[in-house]
Amino acid sequence: MKDLPSDFRPDPELGAALRSALEPKDDHAAFVARVMARYDQALDRATIPTLDVLASWFRPGIAAAAAALIAGFLIGRAVLTPAPASFDAALAPLEGPGLAALVTAQDPPDASVVFTSLVEQR
Amino acid sequence: MGSSEDDAALVASTVAGDRAAFGVLVERYAGQARRVARAVLGDPDDADDAAQDGFLSALVKLAQYDARRPFGPWLMRIVANAATDRRRRRNVRRAEPLDASLVGGGPRPDAIAVRSELGERLRAALKELPERRRTAVVLFDVEGYSHAEIAGILGIPEGTVRSEVFHARRRLRTLLADWKEEAR
Repeated sequence: MKDLPSDFRPDPELGAALRSALEPKDDHAAFVARVMARYDQALDRATIPTLDVLASWFRPGIAAAAAALIAGFLIGRAVLTPAPASFDAALAPLEGPGLAALVTAQDPPDASVVFTSLVEQR
Repeated sequence: MGSSEDDAALVASTVAGDRAAFGVLVERYAGQARRVARAVLGDPDDADDAAQDGFLSALVKLAQYDARRPFGPWLMRIVANAATDRRRRRNVRRAEPLDASLVGGGPRPDAIAVRSELGERLRAALKELPERRRTAVVLFDVEGYSHAEIAGILGIPEGTVRSEVFHARRRLRTLLADWKEEAR
């Protein structure tokens, strides 16, 4: 489509014809009075929360409650879960028959004793 | 139409609770709002209902109006939306074929009825156009809004407005030329 220079300006002839075709027949003043008659009603309706407004609050409310529940669950889990043992504590030898046998034996230990002591440390 | 500063002052007074100021705005824009609504809806009674809805909707939204911008396009956007909503709700859009006598070929009108017949033909031709196209041409050629302002009112790109006005004018100018030819 190529714009003609006249395409950037209103066409007075067409505009006048269209205006005449669309001009309301009723009294202008009557229309103004009709709008103004509903002035107070429109403002009242705007200030009273309607069901629509309450419904619009409902969804964010549900979302906020769900978010609070998830946050509570995560915090609770963090508080109740025991802290992991330190590295030294994890490697410290534990008491047990395997370990005692290994320490007190006169002879070199049997492979099964070494294995048992290692398993007990875990 | 009043100046932008004047409109902004009236809006400020209305927001402050001045009922008379809103009355001046309604008085000032009633004709335009009714024509734009009629361009969307076709039916004059539906159009007046939509224009009224638009004014009252604008009244409760006035606090959102940016006074640095012209008031007319802001109001016309609300009116056009009110008209479109009403059309959707009532399903008033009917793909009615044009009456053959309105398109042409009917009896030659007498001098008294000439003007009214042109109006009938134009309304029928407008009804044939897609809603956006007829609203755009009315806003441009009747109400004098710029392409950019119409783009803001209809929520479409400026290039689309130019295209819609172009196509609407082509159809309506043909009809106007035919009518003038017949009237000779």
